[in-house]
Amino acid sequence: MGIPVSECLLKLMAEGYTLDDYRGDIPPRWCTGCGDNGILAAVQRLCRDEQLPPERTVFVSGIGCSSRFPHYMNAYGFHGLHGRALPVAEGIKLRRPDLHVFVSTGDGDCCSIGAAHWIHAIRYNMDMTVLMHDNQIYGLTKKQASPTSPRGVKSNTTPRGTYLDPLNPLSVTLGVANVSFVAQAVDWIPELLYDIISEAYHHKGFSFVRILQRCPEFMPHQFDPWVQNPDKMLLLTHEKGVQLSAGLSKVYRKQEAHDPGDLHRAREIASLSEQIPVGILYRDSDVPCYEDVRMVDRLHTPDVIKGVLEEEFDKFTIWPSE
Amino acid sequence: MRLEPPGGMARRQGFEAGRKEHESDDDMNGNLSKLTSFHVTGIKPALEAEDAGERSFRPALFAGYGDLTKLRYDYPVVLVESAAGSKFAQSLSDIVDGILREIAPQGAAGERLRKHVLKLEEELRGLVSQKGGASLLDLWDVAEKSLLTRTEKAARDLLRDSLERARNALHVDGEVLDCDEATPTRFITRGWNAVQAAKIHAVKKRIEHLVLKLSDILRADYMKTEEARSAEIFRASVGTAYDEAFDFSAMSGILAKERTGDLLPDSRRQRVQAALTVLQAQRFHAPLHDFEQTVVRQPLYDFVFDSCAVALEAFRGRLPEMVEVIKAMSIAELEIQNLYRESRHEPFFERFDEGALGPDDLALFPSYLICLRGERIDPAEAGRIFELLNSDLPAKILVQTDDLLRNLSLSAGQTSSVGGLELGTMALGLNKAFVLQATNASLYKQREQIVNGLRRDGPALFSVFSGAMPRVAGVTPYLLAGAAEESRAFPVFAYDPAAGPDWALRFRIDDNPQAEADWPVHRMMYEDRDFQGTSETVAFTFVDFALCDGRHGADRVPVARSDWHDDMIPVVEHLDLAEGHAPDKIPYVLMVDENDRLQRVVVDDKLIRAARRCGAMWHSLQELGGINNSHARQLLDREREVWEQKKAEELAKLAKRAEPAGDASPAVAAPPPAAPVEATIEVEVAAEAPSDEPYIETPRCTTCNECTELNGKLFAYDENMQAYIADLDAGPYRQLVEAAESCQVSIIHPGKPRNPNEPNLDELLERAAPFN
Repeated sequence: MGIPVSECLLKLMAEGYTLDDYRGDIPPRWCTGCGDNGILAAVQRLCRDEQLPPERTVFVSGIGCSSRFPHYMNAYGFHGLHGRALPVAEGIKLRRPDLHVFVSTGDGDCCSIGAAHWIHAIRYNMDMTVLMHDNQIYGLTKKQASPTSPRGVKSNTTPRGTYLDPLNPLSVTLGVANVSFVAQAVDWIPELLYDIISEAYHHKGFSFVRILQRCPEFMPHQFDPWVQNPDKMLLLTHEKGVQLSAGLSKVYRKQEAHDPGDLHRAREIASLSEQIPVGILYRDSDVPCYEDVRMVDRLHTPDVIKGVLEEEFDKFTIWPSE
Repeated sequence: MRLEPPGGMARRQGFEAGRKEHESDDDMNGNLSKLTSFHVTGIKPALEAEDAGERSFRPALFAGYGDLTKLRYDYPVVLVESAAGSKFAQSLSDIVDGILREIAPQGAAGERLRKHVLKLEEELRGLVSQKGGASLLDLWDVAEKSLLTRTEKAARDLLRDSLERARNALHVDGEVLDCDEATPTRFITRGWNAVQAAKIHAVKKRIEHLVLKLSDILRADYMKTEEARSAEIFRASVGTAYDEAFDFSAMSGILAKERTGDLLPDSRRQRVQAALTVLQAQRFHAPLHDFEQTVVRQPLYDFVFDSCAVALEAFRGRLPEMVEVIKAMSIAELEIQNLYRESRHEPFFERFDEGALGPDDLALFPSYLICLRGERIDPAEAGRIFELLNSDLPAKILVQTDDLLRNLSLSAGQTSSVGGLELGTMALGLNKAFVLQATNASLYKQREQIVNGLRRDGPALFSVFSGAMPRVAGVTPYLLAGAAEESRAFPVFAYDPAAGPDWALRFRIDDNPQAEADWPVHRMMYEDRDFQGTSETVAFTFVDFALCDGRHGADRVPVARSDWHDDMIPVVEHLDLAEGHAPDKIPYVLMVDENDRLQRVVVDDKLIRAARRCGAMWHSLQELGGINNSHARQLLDREREVWEQKKAEELAKLAKRAEPAGDASPAVAAPPPAAPVEATIEVEVAAEAPSDEPYIETPRCTTCNECTELNGKLFAYDENMQAYIADLDAGPYRQLVEAAESCQVSIIHPGKPRNPNEPNLDELLERAAPFN
């Protein structure tokens, strides 16, 4: 027997999950043509391929179109407050490091109201997969400019067009201490979207994947130049990153062999404006995870729990004799 | 260890003046023939009355080494308490260097601190030999006090300040070891303890986690019983302070009516209870926490032995209990995850016995450390050593050799028993066990390899020569152990079967001095008869090492200078000659006497033969270690021959081609410069001819629902939620064209219509054209 008996038996007992096992009871209510559908399909595929037990998998989100994600997964979910997906996910991971934690957040949720949490979550580097659905607009509330809306976009809050250049989530992430995994995917290359999410899942640490995602309702044709002209895309390939299939290589001919260990080049790639880079920009597996650094070597035995509770209660107890 | 004098200082020795300078050639020839006779027969000649006595000689290269307490070297070693990995042993010099790096600034500013602390180190070194087994902090106190007492009053305050700062920067403590007979056992045992502590900690945590979860299952079940909801239990849980404020009977009456779900089936409760009992009663691991024990635990098992037989017996005796523990752990894992199925698992666990335990299961238990003395290993014990080394059992065997030369004293016809030296090389043949051969002099250097061998799940052999030879006076064990390495008498090697698939990765001998050479050579400086400094290169061979042993006094004869002859050659040159090819040459080594006077000492053939055997063994190890490998050499020769032949043919062809043209240009043109490699590449591919059949580029589908909402029968999603054409009969050509138009990533290709009678076909074909 190559592995201990107990592990072997558990493997034998593992149920064969199909993609249907990860579908929630509610069918997705995103618009037809919305890129979120593709992201959901890729994540469900990943769960099936990795055979993640639904009861050991958690999807956490904030507010926005993207944040409806947990409803459509058959797993544990936490649809949280606006911008607060990451602190909730951190709490879950800290207390239950055995769970697979995924976070779905949007450009508004993550880069605006949740920006402070985002910065510190990168620094904490807790082991979770963060999917930032970036459609460059607030869609759920019917079109307001988000921090990643391109300059000049007219919206309900910016009727004369936005005045500022957009925030670049990749550059920001790559600039924070302890960054350990940064990738970019687009919903219109599903094969690569799956590969990148899979790499992010396998990375131990805070895996940040920005997914450019089409919003057919409020930002129609925003990505058309790139969707219709594959030569405007730059695919990052490397033996330590993702590799392209022959079919994909045939369509997307602009490729760069980029070593994900090269932070300097990653920052340059993140700053490209004409081309959309797709692939793993940066990966450092040696950055310690906060949950490991803070690991407490203590079992929560009944005695320990009782002791802690007693201690807390004693702080408020009014003794009859006093 | 290197046999250069410390600090590179030349130590001058008086060359023996030689008293008989005017002897006749006849006398010389007579003595030469006596020496030749001695070399061949081993019968000592009566050359001179004063030489016949048992004078003390040491190898000439030892002359540079006297009092080792003045030297900074690997010993003493501190066996650091509660240190992980190879940090379990730290040399005093390394610790002092660390302290000085921390407290003494670079340059003159730190000079006073460095001077004082190094003085303390020297004091400590002297103390260690007297107070074996003491802790570093205790010795530090004694050394500090003694140093302060001996220091003049004026300088005392500064010294005290330096030592106090050093003491504050000292972060480790532990037993201090000098290099002696007890060292290998203590060193390896401490390493084993450090490795066990780290390895077992994780297992203990896992067992305690299982115990806690199993207890939780039983506890949750108990909470559903009527007893758990009785008034007495409620009263006891509230305590006496507020007991009058509650009506516990009423509370019990209300709660007892609540439906709490079914109790566990008896079989499951018993199974969980049985697993819990086994895990709590197991005697392999001490608990990490104070648990509420429901069973009485017997004393923990011991895992250190001084006999393979006893260790094997203990292992076999504990096997049934190990099986029970593994079984209990497996049941607990399944129960905790609610995956235990009686119909599937019961038959498995009924047949679960010792045969089901694999190496990974054995790795959950501590390894067995067996410390043996090479001189006391009888044939039966040797057999058991190989039995263990050839198994998957976690046996870590230390074989310590003190008397490396005992087999050399055997006369012809006597057989030698298997000792540490033989065990080390024989174990290599098993190809399965980790093997480390080292001496006391290199133990510290090999600490990472030691930890590596102790960490492995399978068996490991540590064969160590202590240097504490019983018949060698005046040479410290450290020096002798180093000499055994230098002379190839006890080479250092490590074989780790887990390091890779081939010998290049598994085996290493590069920690030996001058591993590429047959015998290490050193530059020796001395003073000649005219008191002039001179030097020569001296090899250190097996003969030099063997002559340290008093038992081989009969195998050597010192030769007065007057008797020196051209036919006397250094042993190393003699060994280079083929055996029996120089019967007239007499081999000698350079030694020094009590007064450090250099002597030529002629040795008999018995030692030469032993040296040849030792050299042959060293060559075998070199070959295994990739040095002068005969197979590689032969292959290289063959390949070179083929290459040279090929090149010669090519040159001949070129020359022939060049001849008629009379061109003076070079025969071989330089290759064109390589094309610059750009970071961004563009992949060129041939375009495929368009197809008449409708199709979807399924892998590129983004699951946007456009097509499936148009016609969910014509278009469907596959197992990856990506669209494909499911049934062409389920919709008209028009829908294929509409789907192609609405697809945002343009991956639907409508092809040509199947039904030529479909209305508006011309228009549809026109609309379909951009997508085909």
